[in-house]
Amino acid sequence: MPNEAKANVFQGTLDLMVLRTLATLGPLHGYAIAARIGQVSSGAIQLNMGTLYPGLQRLEQQGFVRARWDRTENNRRARFYSITAAGRRRLDAQKAEWTRMAGIIQAMFAEGA
Amino acid sequence: MKPKVREWCLRLWGTFKNRDAEVEEELRFHLEMAEQDALRRGASDREARLRTGQPAQAADSLRDQWTIGWLRDLFADTRYGARILGRSPLFTAAAIGSLALGIGANTAIFSLMDALLMRFLPVHNPSELVELTLVEQGRRVNSFSYPPIAALAAQKDIFSGVAGCTTYSFDFTSGAETMRLPGAWVTGEFYRMLGVEPFAGRLIAPRDDRPGATPVAVLSYAYWRSRFAGDFGVIGRTIQIENQPVLVIGISPRGFDGAIVGSTANLTLPLGVLPQLFPERSRMLDATAQWMRVLARPRTGVSTAQAKARLGVVWPRIAPLATTPRMNRSRRDALLNSSIDLMPGGSGFSDLRSQFRRPLGVLLAITALVLLIACANFANLLLARGTTRVREIALRFAIGASRARVIRQLLTESVLLSAAGAALGLLFAGIAGRSLLAVLSTGGFNPIALDLRPDARVLLFTTMIALSTGILFGLVPALRATATGPAAALKGGSGIAPRTRTRLLPALVVSQVALSLTLLIGAGLFVRTFQNLLERDPGFRSEGVLLVEVDARPAGFKGSRLTKFYEQILNSFRQIPGVISASVSVYTPLNGGDWSDSVAINGQMTSESVHLNLTGPHYFETLGTPLVLGRDFGEADRAGAPYTAIVNEAFVRKYLPDGHPLGQQIAIAFPARATLEVVGVVKSTVAQSLREEAPPFLYLSYFQFEEQITSSTFEIRAQGRLATTAAVVHDQLRARFAGTSAQTREQTLTEQVARTLVQERTLATLGGAFGVLALILAAVGLYGLLAYLVARSTNEIGIRMALGAQRGELLALVLKGALRLLAFGVAMGVPVAWIATRWIGAMLFGLRGTDPAITALAAALLAATALAAALIPALRAARVDPLTALRYE
Repeated sequence: MPNEAKANVFQGTLDLMVLRTLATLGPLHGYAIAARIGQVSSGAIQLNMGTLYPGLQRLEQQGFVRARWDRTENNRRARFYSITAAGRRRLDAQKAEWTRMAGIIQAMFAEGA
Repeated sequence: MKPKVREWCLRLWGTFKNRDAEVEEELRFHLEMAEQDALRRGASDREARLRTGQPAQAADSLRDQWTIGWLRDLFADTRYGARILGRSPLFTAAAIGSLALGIGANTAIFSLMDALLMRFLPVHNPSELVELTLVEQGRRVNSFSYPPIAALAAQKDIFSGVAGCTTYSFDFTSGAETMRLPGAWVTGEFYRMLGVEPFAGRLIAPRDDRPGATPVAVLSYAYWRSRFAGDFGVIGRTIQIENQPVLVIGISPRGFDGAIVGSTANLTLPLGVLPQLFPERSRMLDATAQWMRVLARPRTGVSTAQAKARLGVVWPRIAPLATTPRMNRSRRDALLNSSIDLMPGGSGFSDLRSQFRRPLGVLLAITALVLLIACANFANLLLARGTTRVREIALRFAIGASRARVIRQLLTESVLLSAAGAALGLLFAGIAGRSLLAVLSTGGFNPIALDLRPDARVLLFTTMIALSTGILFGLVPALRATATGPAAALKGGSGIAPRTRTRLLPALVVSQVALSLTLLIGAGLFVRTFQNLLERDPGFRSEGVLLVEVDARPAGFKGSRLTKFYEQILNSFRQIPGVISASVSVYTPLNGGDWSDSVAINGQMTSESVHLNLTGPHYFETLGTPLVLGRDFGEADRAGAPYTAIVNEAFVRKYLPDGHPLGQQIAIAFPARATLEVVGVVKSTVAQSLREEAPPFLYLSYFQFEEQITSSTFEIRAQGRLATTAAVVHDQLRARFAGTSAQTREQTLTEQVARTLVQERTLATLGGAFGVLALILAAVGLYGLLAYLVARSTNEIGIRMALGAQRGELLALVLKGALRLLAFGVAMGVPVAWIATRWIGAMLFGLRGTDPAITALAAALLAATALAAALIPALRAARVDPLTALRYE
């Protein structure tokens, strides 16, 4: 199951999930992002490092998230990611697009039934 | 910035910035967190690992996102390659040096071709421009007279602009100092047609090109900077040109030196005011003076073919403007029946082009051969090196590199070498360019001015050469070095290269020898041609003769006063200490001028025109041309006396073969209708070129045709240094012409002769230089191969010695190997060279492309050099200590 789930998490969806997580919870380190997504998906999506970090890196390079080193509550050094203004705009745009798409798909299934 | 663009920019940056440590820390943190979580949940470590994935793989994917992969590899390969190359400086220097010489030679010649033949003028849309040429009786003439240009410019349905221009030297007076400046005359539309905008002020406009207009001048940017220190105040100021006030109206843009390639116009003036500056030369504006080159820009939408078709209709109506009633009948008819042809004009004009196109083509071919030889060296070095790197390559295979990856690494190294070679070559080319111009300018009056700074085309050329050299000549060695593949990794533990018997290395050396021989033969032919021409008896002795050209008309002398004045000058020259004899004439041999006409011999017109000249007494004596029969012109042969003539032997052979030339009657129509009596016969001399057979000549007495004399040349044969005599002459003339714009020029006859040999000198000098270069490269190649073979066979040599071989035998063994390569190379090179020299056959003089002496000499030179190169490794082989060699195993 985890492998399948990983394959299904394609790029745009991962971006959307990461941005959404950061927009709701504020700055988080990579592990916390993965944990949150796992929790929200009830364990259906288990992001491994090889998917998560390159994705974060790309979002950072595209200017949607910002990263900096900080301390966790246990006083450990970790890299924290936060969403940027451009990231919020992106999230809004993608959310609208996603809703629109979901509506269309739903309408299609409704018709078929 | 768009997110995608931002991403790629950052990846580009990331390629050169390592963040492995950061990544490692972040991933370690992630793993630790995952383990803690798993412990808390009671899951096994293994399960946690499965969920999080392998940190090493994650780091790899992260690196791929952080960087541009192929660029990172390239960068790493380059760094690695540079380090590896740095470790064998001798090999690196040899490879880079070979290529730098080859690429440098090519680039130098190519930039010369580029500047002279290909580069567009720095004007608006240069590719639209056409050059107008006149076709008279099937012959193409590049020059127009002034009157038809304006009529052509009026054809607005064909051309948006037509303009004429020509080079000229102007006397520019500033304070007490007068200097001659290279300049140009142009017609009014010149700058507008070219679409050149002024750097400052304004440029010449049609209203400046009218009789009676205020004389104005445009300065070139470079001259304005150097002479007027970039002072804008010069615009609107009046300067003294030819002792006339001329208003400076503007400065042409930087980089624009006129439309004549190879000469710089510091000053440009409109033609219409020529009569004001040179009242005595106003005839230069009428149809008799065909001296303007014409450029035009067809109207938008009018193709060259259409323009030509329309000109076919219009030109017959304009053609009468190109004639005058004073012209003789045949000349007029030729002009009236002429037509106009259009040629691409975007790169301006240059008389240098026709002169140098072919030699430059030959030189480019020669340098291409030099490059091939250099490339063979390069490939040779790489091949030899590949076999010494077997262990390193095996190691790379062992740690999992694919063959393609290793080849890529090796190619990166060879491209790195060729790029370094190209960079150094560009530097060489820059230095060589200056010497090239010096060779080309030898004997010329004005040094040839060409901008040889590499432009985009040259850089592209060099880059292409470097890249293709690196890849093409690096590929085969790389393929061979990796041919064993991962299978054979580390098998040959002894450190000795696997004995793949290679024919590639010797084949390369053989072709190097063949190519060098071809080049040497070519160079030998050019050198010999030049020598043959220099040694050829031209019918006169040029050493020790000074030529002084004088035009005293601007000083106000005319008609018989002019000849009187010239006679005075002549007499004063004869008084100069050291002068043996002196004379005066209109033309001198090989001066580029010519006058020929048909004459009637005893009532019979000659079939072809004969060359004519007006010569004073002692002309032949001064030039060292022997009098064969009869007498020279004397003091008595002047106006009023019976007309006399002297002919040369070629004339006698062709027109008076019955003997008794003396006393024959020759009638001429021009310069005056007269019948002359032959009083002497002289040895034949060449007229236009040292290559030609001396043509029939008819000499008239200078003082008998006073009305024909305009400018004249004085010949002075003197003892001692000619420069001393020239200085005395110069001072005398300066004193006589003070305050006038009369023109004089001193040069030696030897210089005049040398000027006609510029092509041959260029080919001989540069061909010889490149031949030597090829010889050196081939010697290095042979040395490299033998040194490598000897080093590799140290073992075998040791065994042979242990078995009783004498040092002499070993020496002979290596030399015999070298001789075999040499013999193969020569056997291949001679036929190649003989076929190749057919192409240059027309450029040779006094020998054929297959000249056996040159071929033998080239082969001998090559053999001597090759054996000298082979001797060093041969001696090393003979000095091998058998004990050391065997212990080596």
